[in-house]
Amino acid sequence: MSSSRRSTIIVEHLRKQQMWEAISKGKRLDGRNLDEIRPIEAEVNVIRKANGSSKVNLGNSEVVAGVKVETGRPFEGLENKGALILSAEILPTASPYIEPGPPDEETIELARVVDRGIRESEMIDLDKLVLVPGEIVYTIFVDCSIINADGNLFDATSYAVVSALISSKIPIFKVQDGKVIDSGDVQEPPLTTIPISITAARVGDTVILDPTAEEEACMDARITITTNSNSDFTAVQKGSTGAFTLEQLKKTAEAARIKGIEVRSKIKELTNIGK
Amino acid sequence: MQEFKRKYVVPGDKIVEGNFRLLMNAIRSGNSIFATRIGIAEVGRDGIKVIPLSGVYIPRVNDIVIGKIIDHSSLSWEVDINSCFSAHLPAQDVFGRDFSPARDDMGRQLAIGDLISSRIMAFDRTRDPMLTIQDKDLGKIPRGEFLKISATRVPRLIGKRGSMIQMIEQATQTRVLIGQNGIIVVSGRTSEGTKLSIRAIKMVEEEAHTANLTQRIKVLLNVQEPGSQDAFPPTQTQNGQLEEVQSSIQEVEEELEEEVKKGEKV
Amino acid sequence: MTQTRNLIDEQGIRTDGRRADELREIKITVGVVKNADGSAFIEFGRNKIVTAVYGPREVHPKHMALPDRCVLRCRYHMTPFSTDTRKNPAPSRREVEISKVMRESLEPALILEDYPRAAIDVFVEVLQADGGSRCAGITAASLALADAGINMRDIVAACAAGKVDDKIVLDINDTEDKEGGADMPVAYMPHLEQVTLLQLDGILTQGQFNECIDMAINGCKKVYEIQRQTLMHKYFGSETELKEE
Repeated sequence: MSSSRRSTIIVEHLRKQQMWEAISKGKRLDGRNLDEIRPIEAEVNVIRKANGSSKVNLGNSEVVAGVKVETGRPFEGLENKGALILSAEILPTASPYIEPGPPDEETIELARVVDRGIRESEMIDLDKLVLVPGEIVYTIFVDCSIINADGNLFDATSYAVVSALISSKIPIFKVQDGKVIDSGDVQEPPLTTIPISITAARVGDTVILDPTAEEEACMDARITITTNSNSDFTAVQKGSTGAFTLEQLKKTAEAARIKGIEVRSKIKELTNIGK
Repeated sequence: MQEFKRKYVVPGDKIVEGNFRLLMNAIRSGNSIFATRIGIAEVGRDGIKVIPLSGVYIPRVNDIVIGKIIDHSSLSWEVDINSCFSAHLPAQDVFGRDFSPARDDMGRQLAIGDLISSRIMAFDRTRDPMLTIQDKDLGKIPRGEFLKISATRVPRLIGKRGSMIQMIEQATQTRVLIGQNGIIVVSGRTSEGTKLSIRAIKMVEEEAHTANLTQRIKVLLNVQEPGSQDAFPPTQTQNGQLEEVQSSIQEVEEELEEEVKKGEKV
Repeated sequence: MTQTRNLIDEQGIRTDGRRADELREIKITVGVVKNADGSAFIEFGRNKIVTAVYGPREVHPKHMALPDRCVLRCRYHMTPFSTDTRKNPAPSRREVEISKVMRESLEPALILEDYPRAAIDVFVEVLQADGGSRCAGITAASLALADAGINMRDIVAACAAGKVDDKIVLDINDTEDKEGGADMPVAYMPHLEQVTLLQLDGILTQGQFNECIDMAINGCKKVYEIQRQTLMHKYFGSETELKEE
């Protein structure tokens, strides 16, 4: 059951005023333009034991993602596809408002939205990850740990997942004498596209991209839009208790396409793809 | 015996041996005195203290703190003072003795999100800090730019007898309200002045424990922003210009006092 | 825990190239989690652990508060990708036990009476594990606590020693942990000269036991030097002597 509750962060009234004043002049409190995304840093192969990993900073939001590849039974109804399982945890280190415990509705929504962005775009060609059709498939676990939360965890987590998957090395399994063994060789992940999510927030009548935690505490509504390498839309999620006008939605969708191209190219550069 | 007045320490470091009085952040074990915090250990005539360089603000009675209203019951406001405890401002303090919840609207007086400058009237090991806004210059803060610094750097920002903060205020034509809890509100005539004031404050926070900080702040404040239309006067000026600076600061202060009084009125 | 192969060769070199009394490489960075009151990231051999401290802060729920001192809460947790096979994110019994001994190893160093009715939360997240993660976690958590400005009697340093090929060695790695003869993690306060954590897994004779604990404490002293240097460098830069203004 989901219930309304008081917002966790109460922003000082003076600070809100500063924010509205700045936004009315086309700027944000940290000096960014309304459609500007914070600096993205990405480091890959940070966890040796994982088959793929990354540490991504989107401004001060920091996420570590790890890819572990195993074998197992396929999902029901998807007998000829590999399995992709994505999870996310906001670590209690991330902010004073997080309490350790089972994931709450915010965390579960976060994990599912990021998952949808990756899955619906068919970033990984799961048809290529089958060992014994209908019986044994590759299971790709992607786990995300959010270390510091400063807004827009959707995009920070998504970029971490994308970076980790792009740079991963998938072990090649074989079936020998009825057992599954690791051949010791690795293969490149079967990628078809690179999905990039862009999150926007509505503050008053203005829509800003990539909100910080403070901006999220002042926003009326939020939307996350994922586009693939063809700039087609593959996943959308509107969040928070306010609303968007149709015009705002269409404009934001367009901004998500354009910014998606910019961010995709940045992530490719940071993960050295193609080198 | 080694002679020193000040020394960098981390927790567990031995400061000195002997029978000294313990003033702050130091403990005795056997015949030695050890530091309990990261900071600067000082051996003075009246005793040993370690000036801390990090740590959450711990409330002290009579401190002036800037707090944020986060809730209210029918009898008091709950105030976030950037510390390990929430503070309370009793309704009586604002409305007076004959306060009546039915008649007096708490939300209208001080709303959630408002900032107040207040004094800690009471605090001990058994209860949360209690605030008052009855003194002069206390009450709702109507305008200004808000920032937070580490509470441990506030003494350095104020300086000896206010010397550091006054220098910053004068050079930037701003008024800076400082809470002992590290919350600061800056208001000024021009946005360039306010921005420079904030830069100076942040510089003091980052370099509070280093040598020659005062000199570096002076250099920062003398620099003119490129392309700025309002060139603020350097510290060495003709008498006329200095008077102008002083009178405009007074104007700002008077304006603010008016606003604060309005906020305090029942 | 019977060994199946030699883990130390004839020259006395271990599986990762170290001698019996050598520590793995340690690198610690303080102040890495921006939202936390104090934090430290440690690389201890191949262990990669991030620790964050929030506190003193209000206790929720309020009835858990203690009237005369602070409540210390500690959580040791491994991320799913930190181990060879993927680990379920839900806390295991091992993590629950380690959380407890970790809290008990840090508590003696903290002056909790200074913060009545408040709480100090210590979070230890293992991003990559390679033997000795609890010692690495305690070592980093001590610095995170100092970074947060908590009043401490001393810094806690931790290091494990163990038995491999019937020899006592310092700071056992993952392979030695899994295939060796004994594992003894120790946490130690270097100025007060007190042990705050001691566990043993394996079989040691009396002589080996004494040798092991001595070796671990020497290891703790070496770890402490690195902890102290890290704090001094972070807070005071390259200046070791205070210059008068």
